[in-house]
Amino acid sequence: MSSDTQRLLHDVRNPLNNISVNAELGKLTLERTGDTDKATAIFERILQECRRCDTVLSELRDQLSHEQSANGTDAGDNA
Amino acid sequence: MAQILLVDDDLGFLEATTELLELLQHTVVSASTVEQAQRAASGRSFDHVILDLIMPDGSGLHVLDSIKNRDQTRVTLVTGHPSVKSIVKDLYGPNISYLIKPIDLAQLQSLFEADDDVGEADAALHFGHLVGESAPMQKLYQMIERVSQTKANVLLMGESGVGKEVVASAIHAASKPKGAFVPANCGAFARDLISSELFGHEKGAFTGATHRKAGVFELAHEGTLFLDEVTEMPIDQQPNLLRVLETHKVTRLGATSAIDVDCRVVSATNRSEMDIAEQGCLREDLYFRLAVFPIHIPPLRQRPDDIPMLIEFFLAGFNRQYKASIAIDPKDLARLQAYDWPGNVRELRHAVHRAFIMADPETQMLVLPDDLSSPFSKVGDNKNAGITVGKTVEDVERELIESTLEHLGGDKKKAAEMLGVSLKTLYNRLNSYSEQ
Repeated sequence: MSSDTQRLLHDVRNPLNNISVNAELGKLTLERTGDTDKATAIFERILQECRRCDTVLSELRDQLSHEQSANGTDAGDNA
Repeated sequence: MAQILLVDDDLGFLEATTELLELLQHTVVSASTVEQAQRAASGRSFDHVILDLIMPDGSGLHVLDSIKNRDQTRVTLVTGHPSVKSIVKDLYGPNISYLIKPIDLAQLQSLFEADDDVGEADAALHFGHLVGESAPMQKLYQMIERVSQTKANVLLMGESGVGKEVVASAIHAASKPKGAFVPANCGAFARDLISSELFGHEKGAFTGATHRKAGVFELAHEGTLFLDEVTEMPIDQQPNLLRVLETHKVTRLGATSAIDVDCRVVSATNRSEMDIAEQGCLREDLYFRLAVFPIHIPPLRQRPDDIPMLIEFFLAGFNRQYKASIAIDPKDLARLQAYDWPGNVRELRHAVHRAFIMADPETQMLVLPDDLSSPFSKVGDNKNAGITVGKTVEDVERELIESTLEHLGGDKKKAAEMLGVSLKTLYNRLNSYSEQ
């Protein structure tokens, strides 16, 4: 696995982590304060983090297909 | 409810986690860089520090050095890799917890569960810092309470090891100021750098001044400046300090304009008022500025009833730090209580720490050394004391009586008991000395 791939795998955890923390925050906000405006803002953050997650996953897909095609060429040369 | 410092460069995480912890009734200070965290942490106490290990401006662990009560702070690292655990454990000891991403509520709450019993122990602390319920301490708490309502400067007096900085922190906490608690040791400053340390300097103010630097007065703005060993400050530097106290303005070295500073100055010395006056280590005008409200901190031997409580407090701290559950045998407790602690609370803490390290792993009990006395013990202090050829019996007797009285803080009844004479005899002797 290349270092770029490893970095992307690491990076995907950050938005995922923020989705988790915000989901807990949203749940607790509704349970304890019933503040729906606040909860709406928190859901907006979750959606934003989902989009960030999507961006990293797209980069990861591109990186992996790039690596695969590079490996494929190598195999062809060896054969 | 815990005091938490949260440090992470991911602003989304920082914001959401701060709100989450606040909903859980904790007090949170958050920072997104190491520098910001160090500034926020400087001189403050936290129960918990939750850190990202790798920050853009350095390792998150640098923040720990700025925290005042490092021993009692629980550290939690936020990490994406469980493998980080084993590496960090080797480097920084066992007193570290982990939050593994993605973090959920259960993980966060588990950090504070272990704290419940700690919370109870800390509830017994006066002003969040002081331990003890004895009469001398009650008097001290009352004085702290009174002075905290004012802006008066405080001079703390007491023997070495009585906890002058702890009392200063308590005064700071009781005053609930906006600014920080900034401790500085006047005895530790290099002579030619004192002004720069106290008042700061501009870039290029002198050779070696490569950066602009704020002095301790500026850092303590709207807070408390603690000047330890103030009587060790060279006498020729004292007028500069006096000026700041009088005008509430500091001018950094090399600067053209002054800055307003508004802070309480708590200073400390282990000399008595008599020594200060006789030895001339403090200018009279400065003394009156610093000692608007003088407080004497009692030595530990005058409050032996607090010793078990202090031992319990230190032991709980070490147990938490090393995740152990060491206890103390009642016989050892009695021995520690009977000892006179010339090095005061500092010496007691050191003795408990040592006994903790020596603790028997099978019985889970503290192991005390055979001899408790320290090399700095009071006995050696009085170089004139003792029997030498040429002294008269009367001289030796007088020395014995005077040192016994001094040792017992002037308690004549106890002194008479210890010397094996009647109270009346003791009074007769003392009267004869005063006639001489």
